[in-house]
Amino acid sequence: MNIRALVPIALLALALFPFGSARGENCVTATCHPDIAKFKQMHAPVKDGDCASCHVQRAKEHPVKGGKSFELVAKGAELCKSCHDGIGKKKVVHAPVQEGACLDCHKPHGASGRFLLDAGDDLMPLCKGCHDSKSLNAKYMHGPAAVGSCTECHDPHDSANKSLLKAPIRDLCLKCHADFAELLKTAAVVHPPVKNDACTACHNAHGSSVVMFLNDKMPDLCVGCHKGVGKKVALKVPHKPLVEAAGCSSCHSSHFSKAKGLLALDEQNTCLSCHGTDTLGKPPLHNIKKELEGKKYLHGPIQKGQCKACHDPHGSDHFRLLAGAYPEAVYAPYKPDSYQVCLKCHEKHLLTFPDTTIYTKFRNGNRNLHYLHVSNLRKGRTCRVCHAPHASNGPKLINVEGASFGDWKIPINFKITSTGGSCAPGCHRAFAYDRDKPQVYTK
Amino acid sequence: MVSRLVGKVPGNVKRSMLLMAALLAVGLTGCATKKSSSTEPVFFPPAPNPPRVQYLKGVNGSKDVVKEKASFSVFSFGQVEEEAVKFISKPYGISTEKGKIYVVDSIANDVLIMDLAQQAFQSLPGNKGLGKMRKPINLAVSKDGNLFVADTFRKEILMYDPSGAYLKAYGKDMNMKPVDVAVDDVNLYALDYANNEIKVIDRSSGELLRSIGKSTETVQGLSMPTNMTIDSAGYLYVTNVGSGKIIKLDRDGHIVFSFGKMGDAFSEFGRPRGIAVDKEGRIYVVDASHQNVQIFNDKGRLLMFFGDPGFVEGSLNLPAGVTISTDNLEYFQKFADKDFILEQIIVVTNQFGPVKVAFYGLGHLKGTVPPSNYEEPKAEPKPKAGEGKGGAAQAAPAPAK
Repeated sequence: MNIRALVPIALLALALFPFGSARGENCVTATCHPDIAKFKQMHAPVKDGDCASCHVQRAKEHPVKGGKSFELVAKGAELCKSCHDGIGKKKVVHAPVQEGACLDCHKPHGASGRFLLDAGDDLMPLCKGCHDSKSLNAKYMHGPAAVGSCTECHDPHDSANKSLLKAPIRDLCLKCHADFAELLKTAAVVHPPVKNDACTACHNAHGSSVVMFLNDKMPDLCVGCHKGVGKKVALKVPHKPLVEAAGCSSCHSSHFSKAKGLLALDEQNTCLSCHGTDTLGKPPLHNIKKELEGKKYLHGPIQKGQCKACHDPHGSDHFRLLAGAYPEAVYAPYKPDSYQVCLKCHEKHLLTFPDTTIYTKFRNGNRNLHYLHVSNLRKGRTCRVCHAPHASNGPKLINVEGASFGDWKIPINFKITSTGGSCAPGCHRAFAYDRDKPQVYTK
Repeated sequence: MVSRLVGKVPGNVKRSMLLMAALLAVGLTGCATKKSSSTEPVFFPPAPNPPRVQYLKGVNGSKDVVKEKASFSVFSFGQVEEEAVKFISKPYGISTEKGKIYVVDSIANDVLIMDLAQQAFQSLPGNKGLGKMRKPINLAVSKDGNLFVADTFRKEILMYDPSGAYLKAYGKDMNMKPVDVAVDDVNLYALDYANNEIKVIDRSSGELLRSIGKSTETVQGLSMPTNMTIDSAGYLYVTNVGSGKIIKLDRDGHIVFSFGKMGDAFSEFGRPRGIAVDKEGRIYVVDASHQNVQIFNDKGRLLMFFGDPGFVEGSLNLPAGVTISTDNLEYFQKFADKDFILEQIIVVTNQFGPVKVAFYGLGHLKGTVPPSNYEEPKAEPKPKAGEGKGGAAQAAPAPAK
């Protein structure tokens, strides 16, 4: 065998088993540096006994009492970089990395956890050493933050994204929330921030004192953008669910929805999901679902599935969240703006003039009988005395079953003819009216 | 005196003076030419405000409407016959329906009917015999195409059918001086200057149904009323020279709203005349004293004004009547600036001056949203068009003016 052929093998052997390894065995003995080799996770050179890759002997004498005969091969991060190159070169660099303080987090010889960190899977104790923010100790915590998987989202050394995030925020969130991402793709209505902004516009990625680690409690969080709603909530009569724990999400889906306005269902069914029961509230709220069921005539907006034509779903200065003035009592002294909510759509001069040929068909000759009943300065009858606001089996939404008057339902007994009609109500004796041939009531 | 002075000066000086005079004349002509041939669009309000109204075109007679020397029958355009060129002498009332513009000429005692898009210009054929007008002032056209003319000398409202033939007269025995007229499907509304009221006349029977608009103990009614219009909901609007007020009444005579007073400030009136209301509820009031048209929103708040004196083109000159049209916008768009999108046409009559019937366009700059009518800050949101409901109210008979 040609001896020259053995030279490369010999060189390889030298490279794989350097002299240092023999020295390492000398460094770590029962009496000298005994703890260096006791770590659960050891730095590779330590494991290999290659102390010389980091330490170099400057003085012949070793050990020297009160002196040092070994020095590090290089100072600070330069030493680490000689093997671990390429760290800290991206746009955003972790401050200790920037400062070359690798040992702020890592142990040089070995540690109890991976990556030469004295931490288990829960990195929180280590990170909190510097980052002890309120959100890391909150009542409601995001899963990864709760278990200290900080590096699920953050790169501990450097990143192209702010806050050392491994990817842009939305991408990062949707990487785990893949089911959400799928649903989002096919959603009919999407909350604009969900479509365009970072998830952190509403959520704190670590945790907060609010359920779902929202940045603020509802409705405060939502009214930050929806300022108009904020004003409504501050009015005399706020919609109760809005100021309770579930807040806006009582009616709205916060991310996406099939229905307009991010409602859970279409407008009317969203409302009826609460206002269609007999048990909600004390005393219980009116069961509107029952009121509508099987009725021949529905109020115009209800036919279109609208409730907000008359009620403001967020808040109002008027009772029953009405979108304009309407008297609370059955009888009310008439004022020109008492019936804003009704006259917003219905003829605005309906109640203005005692005689008319234009504004109503409910008249005897030209005598305006709406005016007669309602525009009374002492005891005006409110609309509800004769009309049902939501639905009725009678034309003109006349209360066929009678209007509630304490325990009694006042009958109306309304009949309609081509030129007028008649009533035989619980209020007065039977009267007829006729637009063409005015009835005389003094007989 | 000048000729005497000229006679004394020597010949060479005289020549140089003549030369100077000639040069001066050329110079002045040059200036005048420059002014009149100005191609800059005339916008109101003036810059830097975004433009809302542009002066488009003036019409003084048939030559401004009809290209070739041809004439057309009044209502069925197309018959070609030779006829002399017609001029508008002193227009007052104006009305429009289905693209045709009807102008009262109070000197020629005639009604001129023009359709610019169709190049048609004609005087009313029924203006003869029993239908001869004596002093027509204002007019109205009903939805069915019938024409109603207020004649202050005959003290009647004259009715002509859609072909222009005379049909009948209303109000002979009503002791009135009708200065304007409005019409809906059922009634005629004659504005009676002599009695400060509106006479409501049944269209089919010709009977006086009621008189409306008089002052009561609490409400000031009509006062020297001169012009009137009716809006799409059937409300009547009357200009009053006596009080400077614009009064809005319903057909029963209830005064539902009034605004304005005499004066020369913005939104006040000197001599209020013609009035028109557009589909958005904006109220246009001509003022013969301010020589402009002021535009108000439906609550009587001044939005802008246009046509004031001082422009080479586009100033009004003793204006009288006004009408609004959304017909033939494509035709009128040709006269507008290329970046100005027309929404409707405003036509105003001038009793004097070089332009007798002035066409303006209400519009907005391309790429901008037309501003909405100014609403009071705390006003309740109005229901969207189509959402509003008359409730138990009767539908208004289709009005026309």
